[in-house]
Amino acid sequence: MFDKILIANRGEIALRVLRACKDLGIATVAVHSTADADAMHVRLADESVCIGPPPARESYLNVPALLTACEITGADAVHPGYGFLSENARFAEILDDHGVHFIGPRAEHIRLMGDKIEAKRTAKKLGIPVVPGSDGGITSDAEALAIGREIGFPLLVKAAAGGGGRGMKVARSAEELAVAVATARSEAKAAFGDDAVYLEKYLEKPRHIEIQVLGDGKGNAIHLGERDCSLQRRHQKVWEESPSPALNAGAREEIGEVVAKAMRDLKYLGVGTVEFLFEDGKFYFIEMNTRIQVEHPVTEEITDIDLILEQIRVANGADLTFRQEDIRFTGHAIECRINAENPVSFRPSPGKIVHYHAPGGLGVRIDSAVYQGYLIPPHYDSLLGKLIVHGKTRPECLMRLRRALDEFVVDGIETTLPLFRALVREDDIIDGNYHIHWLEQFLARGGMNE
Amino acid sequence: MSEQDLIRELAKLLDETNLTEIEVEREGLRVRIARQITTHVLAPGGAAHVPPIPSIAPAPAIPADLVDPAKHPGAVTSPMVGTAYRAPSPGARPFVDIGSVVKAGDTLLIVEAMKTMNQIPAPRGGTVTQILFEDGQPVEYGEPLMIVE
Repeated sequence: MFDKILIANRGEIALRVLRACKDLGIATVAVHSTADADAMHVRLADESVCIGPPPARESYLNVPALLTACEITGADAVHPGYGFLSENARFAEILDDHGVHFIGPRAEHIRLMGDKIEAKRTAKKLGIPVVPGSDGGITSDAEALAIGREIGFPLLVKAAAGGGGRGMKVARSAEELAVAVATARSEAKAAFGDDAVYLEKYLEKPRHIEIQVLGDGKGNAIHLGERDCSLQRRHQKVWEESPSPALNAGAREEIGEVVAKAMRDLKYLGVGTVEFLFEDGKFYFIEMNTRIQVEHPVTEEITDIDLILEQIRVANGADLTFRQEDIRFTGHAIECRINAENPVSFRPSPGKIVHYHAPGGLGVRIDSAVYQGYLIPPHYDSLLGKLIVHGKTRPECLMRLRRALDEFVVDGIETTLPLFRALVREDDIIDGNYHIHWLEQFLARGGMNE
Repeated sequence: MSEQDLIRELAKLLDETNLTEIEVEREGLRVRIARQITTHVLAPGGAAHVPPIPSIAPAPAIPADLVDPAKHPGAVTSPMVGTAYRAPSPGARPFVDIGSVVKAGDTLLIVEAMKTMNQIPAPRGGTVTQILFEDGQPVEYGEPLMIVE
């Protein structure tokens, strides 16, 4: 097993990874920028190394600094967390060249799924249902128009180098198409350095349902059920739950097996998530994320499996401990991503947490690195922590979530806790009756001002 | 307030409040006063023996130049994480020693990162008064390496 893991990330996920390392008895190295010198995981790690100033480019994305930190600490593996370099195939290759293990998929699969056009082609080849659209990037307005006529409007123009909800434009009619394509191209060029775009049928009220997978790189892979992440604001997930209120056991088994088989065929190594839009009982592949995801605790709660631990194990060459028939789904879990933002304007609110009281009790889990007295730095994302609640049934889970949210105290900064307190009391949420536009519609009609 | 007055005041505060330790930092000066607690082993079968609170040891004179090295105006800090070397190559004479007089731009040390040797120049002219690392020691970003006054 690895002797020492360097955690190439920050915030709540760095603490999460540190916990798994400690459970496995593996020594930990926390690298950090000067702004994170007082981070909880830095305080708890066996060793810490300051690798740069606050800007991510000079610290958490600074490959030479990360490599040097591996060198001087003797780390034999790096866990990249999520975001930052977690889906950077070049980083995985560089680590490999230097004899350091990258805890994640092989570079070829990161690359494959990082290009959204290639990912879709691969999914189709592997038998995963996809959204109808262009076959690859579009090269002319005439081609775009032809596709529009074939599959119908509205259409979505998507950046090939995008992902995570970025770089998308809607065209409701043939008249709007040329402008949508041109705008998408120039934004994609600016944001991702690549103006390749492709077209997809725009689904009006789909749910976002994703399947968690785990593979050992030797041809064994399993699925660990789905997460419904339909509640999003500006394409950022806000509330995730499992099982999805929209799926029954049959539908879950069917899509789960299609995805698991695809991962077996790929000989996929590590954890990954295959994301779908789900409408009228049909699944449509949108992308695959080749890393651990923010919302992984939801799956951990209903399967009782530590996904980070499994990541580390398979990265070390171990076989899967579980077969598909060993996976059991128990009860219901919901995660709320609490941000340090104003709950109505969503303006970021960095600053000092003067009072902090986290809820507790059976089935209540907080994945957060903040503490009383902690100063949230302004340089990074505003995720303050995740509240994950588990119950035997969805109603029990919702009651427990309502109680936990009411008990949660974070004073000194603004947080989105009031948003979740409002959501947990909304009829549509209680009924599980929502789709990917629901939250923005709720906010637009003043749901937070009632 | 002179440094000695400050220390006397802190010692008085320690006594008055029954704290065991006070640390104060301002304008580059950090002072810490701690009370030494002696513990007594419980006599077998006997009642707990309450240890007497000892009188505060006289505060030692703090040298005038005791400062947090990173905050010293003459501090040269590492611009990157790496391994710091005193000399251009193993066995060669170090670039500088304590007492060396340097001009702005003179090489003080090397920080090696990823097999590239980065010469670290003196940011200003002056005399090397402190060398804060050992040859071949791993250093962090921002770590104070030398004081040039």
